[in-house]
Amino acid sequence: MGQLDTLLITAAQAVIILLMSPFVVGLIRKVKARLQCRQGANLLQPYSDLTKLLRKGVVVSTNTSWLFTATPYILFASTFAASLLVPVFLSRIPLNFAGDVITVVSLLTLGTFFLMLAGLDAGSAFGGMGSSREAIIFSLTEPAMILSIFAVGLTAGSTNLSTIVHNTALMNGILTDPPPHLMALAALFIVTLAETGRVPVDNPATHLELTMIHEAMVLEYSGRYLALIEWASAMKLLLFLTLLSNIFVPWGIATEPEPVWMAMAVGAWAVKVSALAVVIGVFESMFAKLRLFRVTDLLGVAFILALLALIFYYILRG
Amino acid sequence: MPLSLHPDLGSQLINLCSMLLLLTTFAIVAQRRLSACVDLFALQSLFLAVTAAVVAWFTDSPHIYIAALLTIAIKTVTIPMILKKVIERVNVKREIEFVINIPPSLLICGALVILAFSVTEPIAKLGFLLTRDSLAIALAIVLIGFFMMIARKKAVTQIVGFLMMENGLFLGATASAYGMPLIVELGVFFDVLVAALIIGVYTHRLQDTFDSVDTTKLTGLKE
Repeated sequence: MGQLDTLLITAAQAVIILLMSPFVVGLIRKVKARLQCRQGANLLQPYSDLTKLLRKGVVVSTNTSWLFTATPYILFASTFAASLLVPVFLSRIPLNFAGDVITVVSLLTLGTFFLMLAGLDAGSAFGGMGSSREAIIFSLTEPAMILSIFAVGLTAGSTNLSTIVHNTALMNGILTDPPPHLMALAALFIVTLAETGRVPVDNPATHLELTMIHEAMVLEYSGRYLALIEWASAMKLLLFLTLLSNIFVPWGIATEPEPVWMAMAVGAWAVKVSALAVVIGVFESMFAKLRLFRVTDLLGVAFILALLALIFYYILRG
Repeated sequence: MPLSLHPDLGSQLINLCSMLLLLTTFAIVAQRRLSACVDLFALQSLFLAVTAAVVAWFTDSPHIYIAALLTIAIKTVTIPMILKKVIERVNVKREIEFVINIPPSLLICGALVILAFSVTEPIAKLGFLLTRDSLAIALAIVLIGFFMMIARKKAVTQIVGFLMMENGLFLGATASAYGMPLIVELGVFFDVLVAALIIGVYTHRLQDTFDSVDTTKLTGLKE
């Protein structure tokens, strides 16, 4: 790979994640609307929302500190940086030397950490409530997420996401070693729902004070700050869907930087991610939101499954 | 014979399907609503039928297909229907009552899975390569079903635990021994159906006597 190719591939991957993420949000909303017998908004509606918000002015409370204005940029930048480390259409990404799965998780955590601080910063009751709830859920999902990716990493022999995806793609994906992989997949799917604030854990479509988690934290934000936060959330969602599809069903991903393969891989990736988005939309329509204190049951399942997936490796193959 | 063509794929598919059974088992353990419990049991039985069909395909044993069809007819359709009717008729409260709450239950079930794997490891090495993990998964499902019967109070959840044990046994028989003789399987299916009916009736009697289907009340029975 020449230097120009490296730059192009990295840029292409970044642009794809950046530009596709609002579409995925729109797709999930469309699926939910159709299942509720509504026509639903246009698939491109999230883009219009973002441009509208970006053009609007910003209202900032006089009680806030620099944290409040810095957080949207930190959140957006850290999520964007994390998306550079996740293989999208090429399994051996040029930036794979820069960090492994722990880096990705810590970058995502950094954004969420600042968002929690910003929720507290304005001093409103809702912001604090949202932050404390987010902290509960986040502290429970994080171990499950790390363990489930490690379980796959054990089979692939690395904690580097790029290597995991590359090796799994050369083997048989989820069929390489079904029992631990399926457990890890189930765990990571629950983690995805919890981390991105989807229905059994949080409802992204409501501003009802008793139930909201993520929305409560960002309640004080407006204008371009809100646009950045929503865009970052959409990117995080797409990032998780990409992780799910590329770690467990990496079929179709390009293992060599050949232009034709990469073009096909982008198509395969788009199909897989859209399918996952549809699955999430159906899930959201099928299940009611859990009571806050019941969320721990769901996340407990994710944790136990991820732990079992990890232990499996030592019992069976050790 | 298809087995010799791709034994790896067959083994992986069977492991995948039996793993789906174990996942639904965990979902049942983590469930708080009775009707959802029954639905998940129906789903588990469907996965069981799929597993049996895959085993039948890769081992060329047509009698397992019949067992798979019977599984769908009896365990995914008839028994859940009976259980739903029982739940509706006795008008039980929809939440499950626990002796052991969900998070510790999950931990115990995780330990049971590990136990099942370590116990079957020496046996599995002697068995057919085709279904290496399935025997352990089957044992794990049997143990978790048994645990469900101990750790849940209501009669309906105890039936579900019992039926889960039966599913685990069936999976073990199909996966490790490529199914039992058809006549034995027919007998077992009939037994399970009758058991579900009898326990359904018993649940009604429990409701009549105690105004509740909580089986711990049975300890207060007097002459």
